[in-house]
Order: sequence, then C-alpha cells, then structure tokens
Amino acid sequence: MYGFGGTVLRINLETGEIRRSPTPESFAREWLGARGFVAKTIYDEVPRNADPLGPENLFIVAPGVLTGSFAPCGSKLGFGCVSPLTNGHADSNMGGHLGPEIKYAGYDMIVLERISPKPVYLFIDDDAVELRPAEQYWGMGSLDLEARMKKDLGEDFQIATIGPAGENGVGFACITHDFGRQAGRCGVGAVMGSKRLKAIAVRGTKSLAVHDLPGLTKHTYDIIQRTKPHPNMEPWQKYGTALFVSWANEHGCFPSRNFQTTYHEGWEGISGEKLAEEVLVTHKACFGCWMNCGKYSRARIPGKPDTYLEGPEYETIALCGGSCGMTDIHHVAYANYLCDNLGLDTMSGGNVTGFAMECYERGIITKDDLEGHELRWGNIDDFEHFVGMIAARRGIGELFSHGTRAAAQKLGRGTIEFAEQAKGMEFSGYDTRWYSAQLLSYCTADIGAHHNRSWAITADIELGQDTPVGKAPVVIYLQHIRPLFDTWCCCRLFWGELDVTPEEHVDAVRHLTGWDITIEECMLTSERIWNLTRAHYLERNGGPGRKHDVAPLRQLEERIPTGPAEGRKVGTENFEYMLNDYYANRGWDAEGNPTREVLETLGLPRIADRLEKLGLLGKPIPGGIPKVRGQKLKPKAM
Amino acid sequence: MVVYLRSGGRLRERLQPDVDQYTRRVEVEGAPTLREILDTLRIPRALVAFGYSQGTVRRLDYRPADGETITLQPPVAGG
Repeated sequence: MYGFGGTVLRINLETGEIRRSPTPESFAREWLGARGFVAKTIYDEVPRNADPLGPENLFIVAPGVLTGSFAPCGSKLGFGCVSPLTNGHADSNMGGHLGPEIKYAGYDMIVLERISPKPVYLFIDDDAVELRPAEQYWGMGSLDLEARMKKDLGEDFQIATIGPAGENGVGFACITHDFGRQAGRCGVGAVMGSKRLKAIAVRGTKSLAVHDLPGLTKHTYDIIQRTKPHPNMEPWQKYGTALFVSWANEHGCFPSRNFQTTYHEGWEGISGEKLAEEVLVTHKACFGCWMNCGKYSRARIPGKPDTYLEGPEYETIALCGGSCGMTDIHHVAYANYLCDNLGLDTMSGGNVTGFAMECYERGIITKDDLEGHELRWGNIDDFEHFVGMIAARRGIGELFSHGTRAAAQKLGRGTIEFAEQAKGMEFSGYDTRWYSAQLLSYCTADIGAHHNRSWAITADIELGQDTPVGKAPVVIYLQHIRPLFDTWCCCRLFWGELDVTPEEHVDAVRHLTGWDITIEECMLTSERIWNLTRAHYLERNGGPGRKHDVAPLRQLEERIPTGPAEGRKVGTENFEYMLNDYYANRGWDAEGNPTREVLETLGLPRIADRLEKLGLLGKPIPGGIPKVRGQKLKPKAM
Repeated sequence: MVVYLRSGGRLRERLQPDVDQYTRRVEVEGAPTLREILDTLRIPRALVAFGYSQGTVRRLDYRPADGETITLQPPVAGG
C-alpha cells in the first residue's frame, strides 16, 4: 500500500503483549487517517459504559494519510480515546515531528489497551517495540522529561510526554512534544496517564512508498514556489498567531476576566507586537513547513527563574492572559510554561482558572479553599499556585480538575451560568455574543467547544453579526472541511493563510496513494466521521441530541457590558433558530438525532440500526434530507 | 497619490487585484488612513486584522505614503 506505514500496532499494557497486523487499504481509504481511524476504532471497540480513565478505554495514536509525506506540512499526529472531560469521542492532534517518525517506523495506528501495572514508556525503534520502565520519570514535568529522554535515548528520537496533570487524571491534561507542541484538548493526556504511560519515544528510519514520486515532488515544489512570495507569509513568519490579539479586542470577541467582557484593558501589554519585542527568542517550524509560525520565547519575571517555552500563541494569550486578567506578556508566557510543564492544556487551563478567579471575586471560593493564597485577576503568583493545585488534584484543585462544567455542578450558586463551556469542554479564546455562528460552532461540535472544529468568525462578519440567518449551513461546511485536515493530518494554515486549496491537498493524496480520490469523497468521509461521533456521544450520554447542544447563559442572555461590542448578546431565540436550521441542514431531526436516511447516505446503516434499538434514531424528515449538507461561504459582492 | 494593497485568502476576493494575483492599485485623494481607504473600497473593517509593510505591522489608523505597498491580513484562527 502506498502512502502508509502498513502496520497497525496493538499493545496490551496489562500483559505486555504486542500484536501487529497489516493496515487494511479499505479501512485507510474509508477513514483516511487520525481522526477517522480513531473515531471508527473507538466506536467499534470501547464499551458504552466504559470509564474514560478505566481499563476498557483505548488510547490511540495515529498519523494520517499525509503525515510524513512531502505534501505541505504533513506534520500532524492524532491521539484519540473517550474523553474524561466530555464523556464523548475525543481526538486531538499535534504538529512537530513525532507523527512522521511513527510513520517512518512503519505504523499507521498504535492502539494501547488496558492499564500497565507500573509506569512505563513506549519505546519504538523501527521494528523494535518495547514497554520500558518509567518509574524514574514519573512525577517529572513534560518539558523537563523530554529534555531528559533526549539525553537518555539520543537526539534522533522524537518524544511525547505527559506531566503530573496527566499522571493524576486531570480532565484537561495534554500531551506534549517538541518542547511545546501539544495535543491539548479533550483530556487525552489524562487517558495516557491513566494507562500509566508516561512517554512515547520513536525513531523511524524506513521509507514511505509513494505511488507517483515525481508527481508529488513537482506538486509540492510548485506550491512552495507559489507560497514563498505570498503576502501573508512574512507577517506569519514574524509574528505567528499572537498578532490577532489586537483585532479580537477591537472587534469585541477577546475574552476578558472569564468572558465578563470582550475588550481587555491593557491588551497592548500581551499583544503580538509585545511578544515579538520582549519575549521572542527564535522561530520554529514543524515537519515539512516553510512558514515557521511557531515562536520560541523566554519569560523573565523578577524573583522567578527564566523559563523557555514555545508560544504563547493567540489561544493561550486569550485564555491564560485576557481571561485571567493579565496585562504583561512575560506573565502570560510564564503561565504558558507552567501549563506546558505540568501537562495542562493552556486553553482549558486558562479558561478554568479565569472561571475560578470569578468564583473568588464573588466570594464563592475563599483563601481558606486556596491554602491561604488568593486568586486575583492578573496575578501570576496566584495563577501559579492554583494550577499547581489543579495538576496535583490537591484540595479545591480536585474540584476544578474536571473542568468548569463539573466544578460548577458541584459549586452550585449559579456558577454554571458563567462557566464558558459546551459539552464540558471549555471555550476557545473567542467570546461569541457578537459572533453567533461561532457560538453555534462551539455548541454543536462533537468534542465540545473547540475553534478547530469550526472557526466561523469571518462568516459572522460576512453574513451579519446581528443576525442568525444563513449561519447554520456555513458552520456545517466548516465542521466538515476544518476537521478534514485533522484526518489527512496536515496543517490547515496553508489553506487558511496561503491559498493552498483543499483540492490541492487531495491532489497530494492522489500522488501519494494512487487512489482516484476527490474532494467530494473526502468531505463525505469527514461528514461520515461527524455522524459517527454524534452517534457515539448519544449512545454514551443518552438523547435527544438537542439537550447536549447547550450554550452558557452568559453567551445567550448577558449583554456585553463594555467595549466595541457593548450591549450585544446572542439571545435564546436566535440560538434556537440557528439550532433548528443546523439540524435541518444536517439531515437530523428536530431533536438533533441523526436520521436513518443521512446515516445510510454516509454508508452507516448499522449505526442507524443501533440507534433505532436504543431509541436514539431521528424521526424521518418529510421531504427527505438536503442533498448537500453544508455550504461554503460566498463572499458578498462589493 | 497611489497606494498598492495586497492580500491573499478570502480577502483577495474582496480586494479584486488588478496588478497581479494579489495586488490592487488604488488612487486616493490627500493622505487617508488605511481605514478610510478600506471604506472607499467597501471592504468591511472587521475583515482586516492589520496592515503590514516594510516589516512592520500597520494599524488601520496608519497613513500610507505615496507608492507604498501594504499587505492586508485577514483575521484567522490559530494556536
């Protein structure tokens, strides 16, 4: 088979048994890679009542079809399981160099089963696969451990690690690689930790068979030549994602103080320009990328050791910075470092801490709960102490270690109204009260509120920020096209920033595999995965689907008090309108359950049978389902 | 005076380049800000995150010089 490593690796962590089987080409074609491989395997094999941190959950590591190829930025690697944060399907991916290394070792999917009796790390050196003791590494920070293992094994090993948060089962623990690339969301690090798997170290030296090497080489060369002079290349290389801090403030979507408002006083101190002036050390790129948007930085705070980190990126600045009331880029960078080394997702970590800061401001939690410390807006010492409590699940840190939804459910006192999450996953760094398509994106996403599933801010601007009309079809399109990049396993920035089209990515797949594949087929695959993960969520959490697609009250009914978007809110009626429109355009019934017709269209008749038995199948839609589900945004004429 | 605006992505469709695939030549009166030029071209301000020229970020209150080339960067998600 062209384009793939050729082998699925299964490892029973309890017994140490290692099994290999050929990757079926039909499976590869139908599911394409990481997100698809994970969704199908988790759906088929994990019992519906399995504890996400228990032995029956699987922990899956999977590159995708474009990983390790010379297609633009084929750097990505996916991780999947059932999420301890949302109790639904989880997939999260990272860039860097580990994905290609795994593929060069010959593996398309690594499925880790059960729980190891002792801490171990997975060692892969081409065909040599071993579970090695990791007691000596247990308790170490993610970044510290990667440096240590590079010394122990050699610089040519690519390594992913978890920190104390993952070991301790924190619901939003992440996996770290390349000193700052994270599979951050859904709590994949907690599941890795629950298996007592501290790290994965891989060296791969095999070749990747390419169906049409001259064709793929020319295809990529042409893209390189075309994108090098692209207008967006230089600013991205110089500043990365942090430059959008200013725009998000000027246009009323930057989360300030746990999303209390959307314009952050003092944002200039945590802006992209400030990052470049004060903390930037050098630029970093992932495998196969000539954009090097990664920023390697040094945080310097009097009284604390200098720390080095990758970032902070926009999302970290928004959530560890704005949402926690910070105004100093060094403090945000240090917060980024703390989360990275503890093994906490900076997005959920920042969001949860901002939520806790508001609880402290309101007197719902006190110094007594915080071991005598405070939790004040913008205070880096308070932040440091609190995230330490979370990572250790110590004291009230245990309460917040399962995310804002779980914390609010236990705290009561109306806290759920300002817990900015959907399905238990904390919002990314965009307030949605003037961006209702983004709210719909968050609340309907299979893994919960994550901007990488659908970033609809531009659609809101194009379609009108104060209307709900026309947004659902665009959100559906985005929910198919954006996660498609997580399925192919290549960076989507070349599409969004450098005008490398999805069709050109499909051309790369064709050169690589020899498949006669089209963008339409890939989009159907993406939709198939979306419906599969929806079914999985309903089977685990009950129906109807509509009861899970819920927005926080702050986003619906609390008007923005200050700034450029002052007075805005989405409104419950508008949200319900968008939800109805969304279900209709997906071919789901009014309760948000997939219908037999749409599932059969996507080649999932057995899922329809299963949902029917469980009483979760959508009612047939009079007149049938839309032929095209999801619509690309058409720019308005000037 | 003349200002050259460049953009890629969706913003390019709004800009309607006429010099090359990315660049549009714009004749302006006086010394307008970037914001005023965008208004003249009926490009929504919210679709432009910032301008960029000579290695420097340019906010929308920046006044381009005669003959200057400014890259318009749309907002994108990331990180």
